Amino acid sequence: MSALVRSELLKVRTVRSWWAYLIVIVLLTGIGAAGEIGSSESENRSTLDFQLGLADTIGLSVLFAIILGITIVTNEFRHGTVTPTFLVEPHRERVILSKTIAAVVVAIGFALLSLVVLAAVAITWLTIVDAQLQLGDAEFLARTGEQFLSVVFWALLGVAIGTAVHSQVAALVGTLIWIFLVENLLVGLLGLVDADAVAEYLPFHALDAADGSGGDNLLSYGPGVAVSLGWIALLGAFGVWRTTRRDIS
Amino acid sequence: MIEVVDLTKRYGKVLAVDGLSFRVEPGTITGFLGPNGAGKSTTLRSVLGLVHPDDGGATVLGRTYRELDRPLHQVGAVLEASEVHPGRSGRNHLRVLATASGVPRSRVEEVLALVELTAAAKRRVKGYSLGMRQRLGLATALLGDPEVLVLDEPANGLDPAGVRWLRDLLRSLAAEGRTILVSSHVLAEVAQTVDRVVIIHRGKLIQQATISEVLAGAQGGTRVRSPEASRLRSLLAAQGATVTELEDTSLVADLPPERIGELAAANNIVLHELTVERATLEEVFLELTGGETTQ
Repeated sequence: MSALVRSELLKVRTVRSWWAYLIVIVLLTGIGAAGEIGSSESENRSTLDFQLGLADTIGLSVLFAIILGITIVTNEFRHGTVTPTFLVEPHRERVILSKTIAAVVVAIGFALLSLVVLAAVAITWLTIVDAQLQLGDAEFLARTGEQFLSVVFWALLGVAIGTAVHSQVAALVGTLIWIFLVENLLVGLLGLVDADAVAEYLPFHALDAADGSGGDNLLSYGPGVAVSLGWIALLGAFGVWRTTRRDIS
Repeated sequence: MIEVVDLTKRYGKVLAVDGLSFRVEPGTITGFLGPNGAGKSTTLRSVLGLVHPDDGGATVLGRTYRELDRPLHQVGAVLEASEVHPGRSGRNHLRVLATASGVPRSRVEEVLALVELTAAAKRRVKGYSLGMRQRLGLATALLGDPEVLVLDEPANGLDPAGVRWLRDLLRSLAAEGRTILVSSHVLAEVAQTVDRVVIIHRGKLIQQATISEVLAGAQGGTRVRSPEASRLRSLLAAQGATVTELEDTSLVADLPPERIGELAAANNIVLHELTVERATLEEVFLELTGGETTQ
């Protein structure tokens, strides 16, 4: 099993998109953190609330986590490498499990990278302007943890989507359309029939609630995590069923 | 060694494999032949657990592929040359599979050298020629030093030198006692390499035999060239022979050359040529599969 996970991690690291992920995450988190600090009022910078907002920049990695999750599965179908992969390990559910573990490991790596960039930018800047750091505050640590978990949830949903929709283009484009269009349309439609509460259970609304930063018209943290995991399990179960049955020809 | 029993696979309305059964004996090279679309790939992929048969099944070394303990160490397979991520280097492609199946890194370098890809190992597969990809596929199959090899159209895309190289490699692998099942739609590619053939057509077994048995069953004839071909023709026909006229001056008859020569001498007919026509393996193959080269 660990051999399979190491193999999956090696697959991720031996194509160029790996470097693209890292570079974009560094840039995005750096710019995000700097923008947040630069646009803030100097008297707010010492408050816990402001610094919790800074911790939320780790969440910029969620999009890369879900793309990684989708591609860690669909790359195999796109390039036909699924054949050698399933020849090495004909028990396909073990391959899916290895990919899931690898995606979680990489997602945590993404969040760590974000955290390092965030710390470098924020600690330097805030120290220079003599703001008070709240990094040891329990609430700050908890929020950081919740952001890490959120990145993991997005990666898990990505793997689930990839196992359910093997076509890479369909999976990636479909997911983006769903996030930016379909779910908002559904929210609007549900609002028309006075069923706003249902919208809170839609997958990406649940994931939004599961990053700890709160928000209007979202479930609270615990239920948000539960509903997110429910969606991941549902889609993942369908994906395992589909992938184990499929003829690789 | 490899045993296929009553294998049936349907894709929608198309019956790709239709109750196919055959055995590949240990230590032999068996050619798996049939025109394109005969069901070769589907059969091989069923043997390897990639395709789920509707009925029947296949075993390798007495077990289904899924039941093998360390499949890469027991069965090596080359199915298509394109089953590599184009952005990964040849060496990394092999390392990925070696890592997954517990093959040491030194073995990666060994197989790279064996298929003569060491110099290109660092390059991304995107820039490989078709022949290089085929050789990378062979390297993949050999990673686990398996005793059984399954190769689907390995000569596709190889130039004549490549085909010769492949033939020599397969021979040396067989000499080490390995069992090899190699498919092809071009008999000539494998005719000089294989010991036995399994010929299928439209998903059904046509013949399972040694190469020489296949040739023995081939119908031949005697070709005669003579300025008096038409007179010879009526004489031969009078002897009950089936005669086919090729040109004005030559014909083919299904009598041995001795009989034809005697007949000509007795009737003072000059002969310019008297040849035994042996059907080539290719002709036998075409005859067995109904002369169709495509589906």
